[in-house]
Amino acid sequence: MELEVKRDRLVLRAGGGKWEWHIEPRYWRNPLIYVSILIIAPVVVYFVYPSLLATVIDANLLAAIAIPLALMSIGTGRMNFGPQFYIGIGGYAAALLSIHFGLNPALTLIAAALAGIVFGFIMSPLSIIAGGLYYSLLTLLLPLLFLEVTFIFSDLFKGDTGLSGIAPLVSTGSFSLNLLIYAFISLAMMLFYLFIIDKIFRSRYAVQMAAINDDEEVANGIGVNVNKTKIISFIIPAMMVAIVGWFYAHYYGAFSGQTYLPLSFMLKVFMVTMIGGRTQIYGCIIGGYFIAFLEMILIRTTGGMSPVLFPVILLALLLVLPEGLFGLYRKHHYREYMPTLRFRR
Amino acid sequence: MAEILKVTNISKHFGGLTAVNDVSFSINEGETVGLMGPNGAGKTTLVNMICGSYGADSGKIEFMGKDITKLPPWKRCKLGICRTYQIPRPFPELTALASVVVSALHGKDRPNRSLEDASTEATHYLEFVGLFSKRNILARDLTLFEMRGLELARALATEPKLIFIDEVMAGLNPVEAEKAVRLIERAKDQFGVTVLWIEHVMAVLMRAAERVIVLHYGEKIAEGSPQEVANNPLVIESYLGKSENA
Repeated sequence: MELEVKRDRLVLRAGGGKWEWHIEPRYWRNPLIYVSILIIAPVVVYFVYPSLLATVIDANLLAAIAIPLALMSIGTGRMNFGPQFYIGIGGYAAALLSIHFGLNPALTLIAAALAGIVFGFIMSPLSIIAGGLYYSLLTLLLPLLFLEVTFIFSDLFKGDTGLSGIAPLVSTGSFSLNLLIYAFISLAMMLFYLFIIDKIFRSRYAVQMAAINDDEEVANGIGVNVNKTKIISFIIPAMMVAIVGWFYAHYYGAFSGQTYLPLSFMLKVFMVTMIGGRTQIYGCIIGGYFIAFLEMILIRTTGGMSPVLFPVILLALLLVLPEGLFGLYRKHHYREYMPTLRFRR
Repeated sequence: MAEILKVTNISKHFGGLTAVNDVSFSINEGETVGLMGPNGAGKTTLVNMICGSYGADSGKIEFMGKDITKLPPWKRCKLGICRTYQIPRPFPELTALASVVVSALHGKDRPNRSLEDASTEATHYLEFVGLFSKRNILARDLTLFEMRGLELARALATEPKLIFIDEVMAGLNPVEAEKAVRLIERAKDQFGVTVLWIEHVMAVLMRAAERVIVLHYGEKIAEGSPQEVANNPLVIESYLGKSENA
């Protein structure tokens, strides 16, 4: 066996065979490399430090919320500040059906997705009638209103304590193994969302979304059905985020609006999108892992300081890294077409 | 020549201001019609109503015999109406090619058109307006003249039957203006579009238009050949004002 390092490749000769691996930077962008790292990481963590798997799951779920949010932002041309509303919808749909009707996770998954679609459809006209700051404020208020509803109808939603006794998704008997399986399910969900939305962003629909983003009136004038595009790109992410809510409910076996609906959770999701680069789907993964691990470190080192430190970090990022990490890369590679959101001030 | 657009008694009010009042006219297929009038005459409002950006308060708009008064802009575009803007409105974050691809994908119904088909066709329109070499430049980085060319390419890519050219000369130097006029004339010949040309510059319409409609304070005050309109006392008065001694 012989390993030879050339300028742009590694050449491995073994027996009669020859294998080449290109090491030029342009080949590093191969997504398979990063997907492999994401798949191998939980296995390594499982053997080295199993309790860290919970952070990996958190990271995957944060990215799984931020990725559909990017689609919603680009498709509607507006920033939704209340994606956690759909987590609440999906989570409560799964929790209530599992507890009161004994439905298994497969059935509650369908119910959560349907609930996401229905509520997404009901709320989608917001993206047509409201714009800019008004849209942001309305979407910001929705989860808070829902939180109030869970307190008002406390008999049903158990607003103060949360619903518990939800059937778990996995039960192998080993806590660590359960976590590993949950990590893979959350990773599969996140990668599936990434794959679907990446396909959308490389399709003809992306060009019309980008046009809507830049100038709705002109897009409408050249034949783009703006309202239809907005409604569809509102409903699909709503359903995807509702499914993340379903996962939260079955993962913890309990679901409380107080955990997911307040602004603190929105802030976390918002930071994921800011660090990765707003509306950059690949950046969401970087952002998800960064925030999940940062939160874990802050909780372990500063205790209850994270609610204070998070907004401070966010403000600092807004100042020094407005484009996000992936946005910086995109800025210099705009020819590789990928729609981005242009914020209306 | 068949009638392509018929506007009947159309009016538009913004609060107490009457922007367009009871205007009627028609355009025949293959014609180049000029629409002129002083600032604030209601030219752009009229075009906005025909394209669907504004709803008409009263009156009727028919395109190829079909009532389109209540149709949304995108449906009007699919029927064959498209426009350019007085102040260029490119898609700033899209490359020149992607901007035209949007039109090539939408606009007139073309079943089974893929993104690749649309990209190929978009390059054809970019080449026509002389922007092929700038296809990968972001639209916001183009010069004013190039933006106007891009707008024309974007409009032509929808395969329109009737195109509205809104004050294409604004902000262009004489050389660029001459190029723009020739470009529109070539577009008319090559793609067989009917043109409604809104313009301030009288000399351009005298040369390019077959018929001219003049608006003043939202009302149609004259219609006829460029020569007739140029000699019309009402038109002269609307542009130059009324002499105290007259």
